[in-house]
Amino acid sequence: MIFSSLTFLFAYLPLTLAVYFLAPLRWRNLVLLLVSLFFYGWGEPVYITIMVLSILIDYTHGLLVEKYRADDKKARWFVGQSVVFNLLLLGFFKYWDFLAANLSLLPGVSLPLLGIPLPIGISFFTFQTMSYTIDVYRRDAPVQRNIVSFGAFVTMFPQLIAGPIVKYKTVAAALDHRVHTAEDFALGARRFCVGLAKKVLLANSIGALWEACLAAQGAGTLTIASGWMGLLAFGFQIYFDFSGYSDMAIGLGRIFGFRFNENFDYPYLSASVTEFWRRWHMSLTSWFREYLYIPLGGNRGGTVRTLRNILIVWFCTGFWHGASWNFVLWGLYFALWLILEKYVFRRALERLPTFFKHFYTLAVVFVGWGIFAMEDLGVCGRYLAACFGGAPAWSAADGYRLRSYAVTFLALILASTTLGKRGWRKLPDWARKILTPALMALGLVVCTAYLVDGSYNPFLYFRF
Amino acid sequence: MTKTYSRFLTAFFCVFLGGLLLWHILLPDREKSETENRTLAQVPEFSWESLRDGSYTAAVEEYFADQFPLRDDWTGLKARMEQLIGKSEFNGVYLCGDTLISKVETPDMELVEKNLGYIRRLAENTEIPVYLGLIPSAAEVWRDKLPKGAESWDQTELLEKSDIDFREALAAHAGEQVFYRTDHHWTTLGAYYGYTAVMEAFGRGGEIPGPDAFEHRVYPRSDQFQGTLYSQSGVHWLYPDTIEFWAEDTGLSVTSWRNGEPEEASLYELSYLDSKDKYSAFLGGNQPLCVIKNKSLPDSGKLLLIRDSYSDALAPFLAQSFSEVHLLDLRYYRGSAARYAEENGIDSICVLYSVQNFISDRNLVLLTQ
Repeated sequence: MIFSSLTFLFAYLPLTLAVYFLAPLRWRNLVLLLVSLFFYGWGEPVYITIMVLSILIDYTHGLLVEKYRADDKKARWFVGQSVVFNLLLLGFFKYWDFLAANLSLLPGVSLPLLGIPLPIGISFFTFQTMSYTIDVYRRDAPVQRNIVSFGAFVTMFPQLIAGPIVKYKTVAAALDHRVHTAEDFALGARRFCVGLAKKVLLANSIGALWEACLAAQGAGTLTIASGWMGLLAFGFQIYFDFSGYSDMAIGLGRIFGFRFNENFDYPYLSASVTEFWRRWHMSLTSWFREYLYIPLGGNRGGTVRTLRNILIVWFCTGFWHGASWNFVLWGLYFALWLILEKYVFRRALERLPTFFKHFYTLAVVFVGWGIFAMEDLGVCGRYLAACFGGAPAWSAADGYRLRSYAVTFLALILASTTLGKRGWRKLPDWARKILTPALMALGLVVCTAYLVDGSYNPFLYFRF
Repeated sequence: MTKTYSRFLTAFFCVFLGGLLLWHILLPDREKSETENRTLAQVPEFSWESLRDGSYTAAVEEYFADQFPLRDDWTGLKARMEQLIGKSEFNGVYLCGDTLISKVETPDMELVEKNLGYIRRLAENTEIPVYLGLIPSAAEVWRDKLPKGAESWDQTELLEKSDIDFREALAAHAGEQVFYRTDHHWTTLGAYYGYTAVMEAFGRGGEIPGPDAFEHRVYPRSDQFQGTLYSQSGVHWLYPDTIEFWAEDTGLSVTSWRNGEPEEASLYELSYLDSKDKYSAFLGGNQPLCVIKNKSLPDSGKLLLIRDSYSDALAPFLAQSFSEVHLLDLRYYRGSAARYAEENGIDSICVLYSVQNFISDRNLVLLTQ
């Protein structure tokens, strides 16, 4: 199930809220576990087994690490087992076909493609459960002895399928004793509405422009203008899609009494690529920093070691996004810019006028989105070549696209800045009090209209 | 946030979500949607098998969306919002002033070539002359009306392959109401120009009665026609179209094989004028086979039309000039069209398709049997 669906909004969510808040406090983790399993099983009922397996194994390993804490070797062994289990799970379900296809290119190797559907959210929950055993080992988090509470952490539906990646230590305390207040509910609901509007109204609608530009590339009618329009469209789509989803997750979490960390911090306002990665998908970058980059030695082993570590981390970051070469390339592309910024032109960049810093950052990031968006590297190469002059500058269709999306683009640009937030804070208290429910209502009504329209499927006697 | 205000927001959020759920539950399920012209999903039946393969949950989602309260109004609201932010394309339909025009997507050229090949094969398989008639869509005839720069597949090259020049006939009258504003079909006026094109192709241009010849015979018409494009686009604020019946019914015998048996029928099935699907009033819509005989013209040729729905508005005119007009629908008639033509003494076969249907049709292969 996804948040931006009618079934979630108008059936699952109200029923879940009713059951959860009617249940006595001590039962609420159990309720959360059960409704989350239901949520997870909705798309692929069979995969509930993976979830249950994952809960059992990581729960046991947490206990084992705690039990053998005195014997560091044994404790490490159990941490290792848990990490290997999670990576195997992820590796098998997400990467098998990719590895098999590529290894079969070697002479004498032939591995079958299995075509297994990807269990939803597997990239997220395997990372979360890995963080648990590691945190317990590092004494960053207490061991969880209650399997229901642990299960509730692993399956928690608000962040289950698209993040943010919630580390166990962030919610450890809230899992065992949390308070539910009307204020948390209200703020959570407001945040949820903001996220829903970002996803349904902004991301989905600009996504159509990206599709059109990609189709133009296929038809050979791409121009420089539509090429860049397409990259902008995709960059906005992925930002509002993903951050909208994070907003909904954070909002829902808050309704249930959890505080998740923020996942995005206006990334398109960054003045360098380095800064962009401090503001984009923060839960993932911090996960990799904490559990990979620093354990590898971070930047403490001299330049060569640091370079190696950066490359490893960004290879993994890219590969985490999908089992395809373009994601690897995308990760390494950013590694290159980060290394350049760190070692080559940091000084020069600092001296540039602010406008150029932003321009440079956005150019790097949006070209990066091109690599991210097109799995077929041939298509990707031709598309980017068109953007950089390998096509006519402009066509009449571009004028049409620009007119059709001008208002949407304006809204996207404004929503990417802090302008709205600052303006909101300047409003007098009474105005905000009136506007909050009015805007929430407007957002919900318009989103519902778009969602119903999406399911609208007229059978036109078009065919005859 | 004060406690009272928080409670207010909380209640407001819950009432919105829960209220719509309650409404959904209390609202009786509808059998079909007139606007969408299809049956709506009903409560799915549960089985462990369907749960395991995921089809059960998919069916629940479909049911929930299909039976959502105020379904048509939500889509109307969405179209209004899109208009507000400067869009002129609504689910593949362009809004051009007071007219809706369907966008034609670039077709799979392989399929188009195949379809052209099937018609050549038919011509080789039978002695009877075969004519291909491709009817341009509104996006082609009314290209000037499209929003500036709006894309729609260029049909010119394909239309050159047509033996009957509908393009020229319609383009010469592009300033008139040759297509409906809310539906993708041609109007009776458009079909009349189509009729002139067919007559020209048969070298019988001299016999065409002028439009005035029909004017005194205007049948009961509807001015409440909201067609397929109204449904597809969600643009519900245009004034409805008018349906006209020009050609007369008298002196004709119409036989329909709607249910596998020959039944007496008529050129216009007036009951459809009370439903949403008013265009089906022409000959009563889809059917495997329909034969119109004009007893007053015993020696004016027998015509077999391999039809799509455009032919339904055209056939009443053709019946004024041919002894017999047979309409055969490849979707429902599974026999050999060539044999049918030979058995019934047909003089010419016309494969008459609108471009939109021709480029996406997958039944033309049946012509080769």
